[in-house]
Amino acid sequence: MRSIRRRLLLTLLSIVLAGVVTAGWLIYRQAQAEVNELFDYQLQQTAAALPSEPFPAVLSANQDDTPRGGDVVIQIWSHNGTQLYYSHPRAPLAPHAELGFSTEHTPRGDWRVYGAVIGDNVVQVAQPLSIRNEIAALTAWHTLWPLVLLMPVLGVLVWITVGRGLLPLQRVTQAVDARHPDALDSMPDARLPIEVQPLVQALNRLLQRLGVALDTQKAFVADAAHELRTPLAALNLQLQLLERARSDEERHDALADLRRGVLRSTRLVEQLLALARAEPGAAAGSRAGLGSAVDGGAGAVPGSTRTGVVDLLEILSDCVSERMTLATHKSLDLGFAGTEPLSVTGDAVALRVLFNNLVDNAIKYTPSGGRIDLSLLCQDGRAVVEICDTGPGIPADERARVFDRFYRRAVSFDAGLGPAAAIGELEPNVGEVSAGDAAAGSGLGLAIVQRIASQHGATVTLSDGPAGRGLRVSVRF
Amino acid sequence: MRVLLVEDDRMIAEGVRKGLRGEGWAVDWVGDGAAALDALALVGESHSYDLMLLDLGLPKRDGLEVLRALRGKGNGIPVLILTARDSVADRVKGLDAGADDYLVKPFDLDELGARMRALLRRRAGRSAALIQHGPITLDPATHEVKLSGVPVALSAREFALLEALLARPGAVLSKAQLEEKMYGWGEEIGSNTVEVYIHALRKKLGPELIRNVRGLGYTLAKDL
Repeated sequence: MRSIRRRLLLTLLSIVLAGVVTAGWLIYRQAQAEVNELFDYQLQQTAAALPSEPFPAVLSANQDDTPRGGDVVIQIWSHNGTQLYYSHPRAPLAPHAELGFSTEHTPRGDWRVYGAVIGDNVVQVAQPLSIRNEIAALTAWHTLWPLVLLMPVLGVLVWITVGRGLLPLQRVTQAVDARHPDALDSMPDARLPIEVQPLVQALNRLLQRLGVALDTQKAFVADAAHELRTPLAALNLQLQLLERARSDEERHDALADLRRGVLRSTRLVEQLLALARAEPGAAAGSRAGLGSAVDGGAGAVPGSTRTGVVDLLEILSDCVSERMTLATHKSLDLGFAGTEPLSVTGDAVALRVLFNNLVDNAIKYTPSGGRIDLSLLCQDGRAVVEICDTGPGIPADERARVFDRFYRRAVSFDAGLGPAAAIGELEPNVGEVSAGDAAAGSGLGLAIVQRIASQHGATVTLSDGPAGRGLRVSVRF
Repeated sequence: MRVLLVEDDRMIAEGVRKGLRGEGWAVDWVGDGAAALDALALVGESHSYDLMLLDLGLPKRDGLEVLRALRGKGNGIPVLILTARDSVADRVKGLDAGADDYLVKPFDLDELGARMRALLRRRAGRSAALIQHGPITLDPATHEVKLSGVPVALSAREFALLEALLARPGAVLSKAQLEEKMYGWGEEIGSNTVEVYIHALRKKLGPELIRNVRGLGYTLAKDL
């Protein structure tokens, strides 16, 4: 029974009905007691009015009659036991007399019997009990029938009243229905009954949360669209240059540029996707797919969370060994400074993305001949991963901002270079943009790191490297 | 013509640089706002840029900040804003901050070139698209040069050199100034390339077109 209205109607009517039945029973019992008293008195009076002198037997006074309705059956015996009179010989009464009131069970129902000694005679007056019950029941019925008659009316009234009572809910429903999908402002709850107010207030709180989530999403989409425009503009340019190419050599160069541009756009889209999945509010289940875009989808099953015990050392050593070639190519000394076998509970795929991003950043920003140290240690019972490099570092006042989406620092190619210093500096770079450089500056890497870390209850802090230079990234679980 | 390109995205910067260089522009590229102001301050009066292409979302100093600082110092260099910010409010803000034109990314290189030429034309006070000097007609858009109505084929460098001379007819331009107009940073300049191109131009357009003012530089003959 899902309808409040129907349930209320049935419940209320059942209660009323139960009340009527109980009242009927009580009235019946009350009436029965009163009728008993009255009829007993009547029997007594009848007995008293009978002749007290001996008289010849008149047995056949009412030969054919069986006692009916309220008839009183009278028997009179002489003092020696001879029956002198029997008003209804067919009455099912035992032919003996008991003095005072008694109830006699006969095959034809119970009888109320009164025996008395009147003068020389013994008199017995009897009456069926059924007549008394009938009268009591009738009394009860007379009292109750208007109530029974009123039941349907009561039902209709309950139906209408409950309907009225539920009107505010309908109004709320209509108000919610009529809303524009974008209208997330609170609904007025001032004139609503206090029973409905909590619902509307809860709804308003939900709307507010939705609003915040939606704003975040909108900002993200706007940012993403804006950021996609830059690599697309680059692609557009590279395409135009390809069209303008006059020699095979120019065409070859333009194609290589175009390929790098496509690679960068792809990388940006992948990072965007990774970030969108790591956003708070993304469905918990979709988190598992986090790494699929970034890691090339190594068996990521969409829709399954893979929270479990994760061996940090294993993840870190995988991460480092995958990047050995790149590091060697850039003459970087990439390795571990200290390790302890530590595990955390979390999403292995997401954690891989986190550390891959951090190590990639270190490789990207550390100049040739530099050193990158990873360490895994236990501090105050918490697992801590540190990645130190000998790159340019990040000034303290910029450290908070680098976690913002799309925040890019100007270190990649013109750090502190005036025009004079830039001469001859730019040209050599043109030819050697590697795949890593193409991915540079999506501006999302650290934002992704931050999101994944907070999902795991971890904090990411940036500080100076060991010798006061370079960057130390600490991830504390 | 020498252009300062202020753009933080390396790929776009390279694309623009290559594209414009192919049309004979000399392009210098800086990646942030502070470096842009440095470049403008470093380059003196004789050494001026003809045009600036300015991105807005820049590290260190925002493009609009650069523009305001520039105009605050009384620098009247034509500025074309090249940005991904496409809202009307952004365009209005950019133009009101002192920009001469506004182009939204992604853009077409041809359109960029056309707008740059238009800006230079306006600055030179010309309304005609063609530059005329005596029997010589130069079309900055098509890079067509005609001598008495007959088309003459010029290389990009030769064209840049001729265009620089035509921009200020009668003025004497030093070799260094001409190099400035022809080469961006990082482009290899041979020790006597200007002489080589002057020689080529004289050969194609007649020996008396460009005159050498010894110890000073080159000028276009006024009486042709």
